[in-house]
Amino acid sequence: MREHIRQRRYHVELGPPRQDSEKLLENLEQFAQKYRRVLDSGYVAGITDNSMGLLAFQGHETIIELGLPVVPGQVMIHLNTFHTKENLHEILDTCIALGIRQLLVISGDGSDRLPRLQPHELGVTEVEAVTAVELIAYIHQTWPGVFEIGAAFNPYEPREHEMEKLRRKLDAGATFIITQPILKQNEVVDEVLARYPELPVFVEAWMSRRISLLSEAVGYEIKDDPNFDPIETLKQLHRAYPDCGVYLSLLGFKTQYHLLGDTWPEPDGRTGEEA
Amino acid sequence: MKIVVCVKQVPASSDAKIDPETKRIVREGMKAVLNPFDAYAVEEGVRLRKKFGGEVIALSMGPEKALASLREAVSLGVDRAVLLSDRAFGGSDTWATSYALARAIEKIGGVDLVICGKQAVDGDTAQVGPGIAAHLGWAQATYVMKVEQAGEEGLRLRRMNEDGYDVCELQYPAVLTVLKDINQPGVPTLKGVLAALREQIPVWTPADIGADARKLGLDGSPTRVVSTAPPPPRHTVTRRITGSPADCARELVADLRTRGIL
Repeated sequence: MREHIRQRRYHVELGPPRQDSEKLLENLEQFAQKYRRVLDSGYVAGITDNSMGLLAFQGHETIIELGLPVVPGQVMIHLNTFHTKENLHEILDTCIALGIRQLLVISGDGSDRLPRLQPHELGVTEVEAVTAVELIAYIHQTWPGVFEIGAAFNPYEPREHEMEKLRRKLDAGATFIITQPILKQNEVVDEVLARYPELPVFVEAWMSRRISLLSEAVGYEIKDDPNFDPIETLKQLHRAYPDCGVYLSLLGFKTQYHLLGDTWPEPDGRTGEEA
Repeated sequence: MKIVVCVKQVPASSDAKIDPETKRIVREGMKAVLNPFDAYAVEEGVRLRKKFGGEVIALSMGPEKALASLREAVSLGVDRAVLLSDRAFGGSDTWATSYALARAIEKIGGVDLVICGKQAVDGDTAQVGPGIAAHLGWAQATYVMKVEQAGEEGLRLRRMNEDGYDVCELQYPAVLTVLKDINQPGVPTLKGVLAALREQIPVWTPADIGADARKLGLDGSPTRVVSTAPPPPRHTVTRRITGSPADCARELVADLRTRGIL
């Protein structure tokens, strides 16, 4: 993942169509177009797993059904704990067959319709519920050396609690992290960088103009600001975190994508345009 | 084994509206979904087929848009589906509905087992499953929470009662209504959904199933809803506990103990 940062490869979040989509074929086509565009740009497609607990199709099956190409290192599947063990194995075996090696393991939001992995299924006895920590450890144990696994980091949780969770995720085998969206330099993220200088960190940039939607993630109310400029905020994040990668969520493919080329400065500080 | 799973399309929202004149559910303009309990029935049917082989057929009665729920059942693993749809079915109560479904099950032929969700979340009657059994003259078990044993001849299962559960054995052909406890329904795969979109689902009329028109619709429905009323509102009180986290926790625990919650 350090290479992704050195090569200035954005990670772009893509959500497969939802299970309740009334325009499934249209949504699949849109997904395919976005996916291809991300890969053609040399970026990394980060494909969500039932984001926000809303039932959606899985990334691996969407890639297969649409006959999409997998470029090694450019597809990252999100994987949460809301699967049966059989389904988990099916997903990961398919990823291996497709050549997908990057995973972002998260605990997930769940849903009434989704089964949750049980500790005994993963051979764990000392916890009551499977979290990202147990899932990361299980993947490493079952498919040793196969996957490069990232973990989520939430700078809005109580600091020591989140730092301890991060330590456990890293001990379990996570080798990079992706933060919750931040709008500016964040002191908790700074602390992570200071504690783990070798750890590849990807800060999440919120690319929607509707920053009020972030309220739930950060735990306090954020009001929409007509002056909020996601592209400018992205540039500020690059200035604040020149050694970090950036994960783009809710990117506007029609209105923002073409502007990305100028946002990530060269190591000497020049932007793409200036370089 | 040949299994029929009865499914119903219901309004997605729990606040379904009742027409004050007809006392019937207003379905126009509401997003419709597969009755949540029916997903458990579908899953159980699919599991039994995996064990014994055979075929699972989803059956529903309703307007043409109910095809969407049948497609969902196909995406969840049933082999094929049949819709009963005709103006003559409109206005059927649970007795007339179960009559029509029973006639369809007879037309399908060779059915060993019928599985229904315990009830539909719109009408909440829990009467259609037992009604089908009554019309067919088959054994039935309602509120089934676990299939303990399934064999070629019959089933051994647990059905929930007020104090716990009964262990029942019944021979095929039989009708079950199942609870959420019975399994964890799968999530449709994209491959399954795309296959379901292409599925040609036959639509049967009363003539197709040899139904007596006098036993269908409003004429065939003995139920009369004489009045409806919303349930009384729940009274809740919000209490804010202030102080240090430790004091708040102490007071909260004490309060919950006083109320017998802890």
